[in-house]
Amino acid sequence: MSEDFDLLFKVVLIGDCAVGKSCIVTRFKTGNVFTERHTNTIGVDFSMKTITIDNKRIKLQIWDTAGHERFRSITSSYYRSAHGVIIVYDITKRNTFLSLQKWINEVRNYTANSVVCALVGNKCDLVDEREVSAEEAQEVCDLIPEILFQIETSAKENTNIENAFAKIAEELMNRQTIIGDDSNNGIKLGQSKSIREGNCNC
Amino acid sequence: MEVEQNIKDYNEIENDMNKTKSDEIKTCNVSNGGQVIHSTDKENANPNMENARNSIRRHDEPSELSFETAPENQEEKAKRKLIENALKDPTTPLEKWREFAKSEYGLINDDLRRSVWPLLLGVDREQCDPVPTLEELSNHPEYNQVVLDVNRSLKRFPPGIPIQQRLALQDQLTVIILRVITKYPHLSYYQGYHDIAVTFLLVAGEEIAFHIMEILSTDHLVECMQKTFEIVQKRLLIIYALIWRENQKLFEYLERSQCGLLFALPWYLTWFGHSLNQYRSVVRLYDYFLASEPLMPLYVTASIVLYRDEDVFREDCDRANLHCLLSQLPDDLPFEYLLIKSEKLYEKYPPHDLHRDIEKIIEREQKIREEEDKIFETRRQMIQRRRNPQPPAPSFIYRLFPQAILFNRKSIIVTTAFSIVIGIFAYYYKNNGTFHVDVIR
Repeated sequence: MSEDFDLLFKVVLIGDCAVGKSCIVTRFKTGNVFTERHTNTIGVDFSMKTITIDNKRIKLQIWDTAGHERFRSITSSYYRSAHGVIIVYDITKRNTFLSLQKWINEVRNYTANSVVCALVGNKCDLVDEREVSAEEAQEVCDLIPEILFQIETSAKENTNIENAFAKIAEELMNRQTIIGDDSNNGIKLGQSKSIREGNCNC
Repeated sequence: MEVEQNIKDYNEIENDMNKTKSDEIKTCNVSNGGQVIHSTDKENANPNMENARNSIRRHDEPSELSFETAPENQEEKAKRKLIENALKDPTTPLEKWREFAKSEYGLINDDLRRSVWPLLLGVDREQCDPVPTLEELSNHPEYNQVVLDVNRSLKRFPPGIPIQQRLALQDQLTVIILRVITKYPHLSYYQGYHDIAVTFLLVAGEEIAFHIMEILSTDHLVECMQKTFEIVQKRLLIIYALIWRENQKLFEYLERSQCGLLFALPWYLTWFGHSLNQYRSVVRLYDYFLASEPLMPLYVTASIVLYRDEDVFREDCDRANLHCLLSQLPDDLPFEYLLIKSEKLYEKYPPHDLHRDIEKIIEREQKIREEEDKIFETRRQMIQRRRNPQPPAPSFIYRLFPQAILFNRKSIIVTTAFSIVIGIFAYYYKNNGTFHVDVIR
C-alpha cells in the first residue's frame, strides 16, 4: 500500500436516508463488494481511496454522512473543509430527489464557495421502478449553479461509481491548477505519511 | 461468595495488569491491513481468542455480527448456579441483581438474561397494555423511518434464522418502537434506537422488550430522544473530560487532531449494539448498562480510548486518521477489564464533578473554532477575489489618484458638488464678462 500522493481532496456524501450513500462508498472503496445487509450510518463513516488521473495520484478522503434529519446539525461540521460534495438521491424514490433543495441549502450554508458539487442518482439498475428521469436531473443540474454535473450510478451493479468520483477528482484537480498551488486553498500536497486506506464500516 | 471471590480475583488480575501494562496487556500486533489487535494474558487462556483473531474483519469488508457461543467455563457455571438460586428466592433484592449483572461474566447466558433483565428495571410482568396493530401504528409520522431502519437491521439477527421468523421479528420490532413513541409523544425516535430494541426483543420477547424499552426511554435514553442531539453532543464531552483527567497528553493529542467525538456517537446511542461484532459482547455490555447509571456508556468509552492510547499516539495527529482508528472497536477488547476500569472512573470522577472541565473544554473548542472561522473566511474571500478579479482601471487616472479618493462615497459627493460650483461660477463670469465688454463698447 503506497502512501504517496500528489493531491488530497476531501469529499463528503450527503443525501436522504437509504439512497445508497454507504453502498456507493463501499463499492468505490473495494471495487467488488456490495452488500444488501448495510445498516444505517450513525454520525459519519470515513474511507480513503487513491486514484490516478493524468499521472497524478489523487487521494480521496471520503466522509459518508448519516441521512437522518437528527444527525444533520452534527454532521454539517464535516462539510466545512470539504473540497467536493456528492449529493445522492434514489432514482426510484422521487421524494429523495425533491430533497435536493434542502441539501443544496446545506451546501450553501456550510461549505466554502469553491466546493465542487455533483448530483448522483443511485440505483439506476432498478429501471422498472424509476421515478426520476435522467433528463429531469440534467435540467435541475443546469438550473442550480453549484452542481457541476449529474450522473446515474448503481452501487449494486458497479455502474459509474468509479466515474463519479473520478469526475469530481478531475474537476478539483483542474480547479487546483487554475487557482494555483497555494496551501491556503485547502488542498494539501503530498503531506500525509501514514494515512491508512481504511474503511470504517461503522 | 463465589462471585465475591471472582471480583477479588479480577482485582488481582487488574493489579497485575497495571504492573505489566505495556509488556503484557497491550501487546499490539498489526495484522490484516493495519487492524490493531490487543491481547491479554487472560484472553490468551481462552482458546476462542485465536478464532476471533483469525476472523477479524478487514477494513474493506462489511462487518457481520458473530453469534458464536462458547461453552460455559467452571466460573460461569458456578455463577449460573448462584443466579438460578437467587431467581428461586422472591426476596432477592435489586442490589443483588445489579451485582450479578455487573460482576465478571455478567448474567452468563440469554436464558438467565430473559429472567433477570426485567428484574433489573422493575418491569411489571403483569402489566398488560393493549397492543395496537401495525396498521394502527402506521399513522405515526416516524413510521416510514422506523420501517426503513428495521428493514436494514438484518445484521442484528442470527444468521440462518428462517426468513419467515425473521420477518415476524422485524414486524415485532417495528411495533415495539412505535408503541413506545406513540405512548410517549414527547420522545423522538432516532436511528440507533432500533439497535437497542432488537437486543431486548431477541432475548426477552416482544412484550417484555416493550416494557424494557418503555422504562429505558423515559430514563436512560431520555436525553437521546429529544428533538435535537444538543444535549447528547454536550454529554459526549464527558469522554474528553475523563481523558483529560486521566491522561492529559492523550487529551491534547486528540484535541489537536480535532477528531471530535463522533466516533463514539453510535456507541452511546446504541449501547455499542450498532458497532460490536460479537453478539456475546453486546449482551454482556447490556447486562452492565442495565445495572448502571445512564451515563455509564460514556465512561466505558473513555476507558476504551484510554486503553488504546498507544494506538492513538502511533497514528498521525489528524482528524481522519484518528476518527478511523477510534471508530473501529477491535474484536478482542478485554471488556471485563474495561468495565472494572469504567466503574473506577465513575467513582473517581462522577458526572457532577466534571461540569467545570466540560465548560473549559467547550471554551477551548470555541477558541479553536473561532480561529478556524477566521482562516476559513480569509480563504473564502481569497478564492472569491481570484474568481472575480476587479476590472482593470483606466490607468492614468488611477496612477494620479489613489483608489480611495476616486471611489470613496464621500469623495464622489464632494467632487460632484465641486464641479457644479465651478460650472455656476464659470457661467456667472462668462455672463459678467460679456456684460462688461458691452458696457465698454
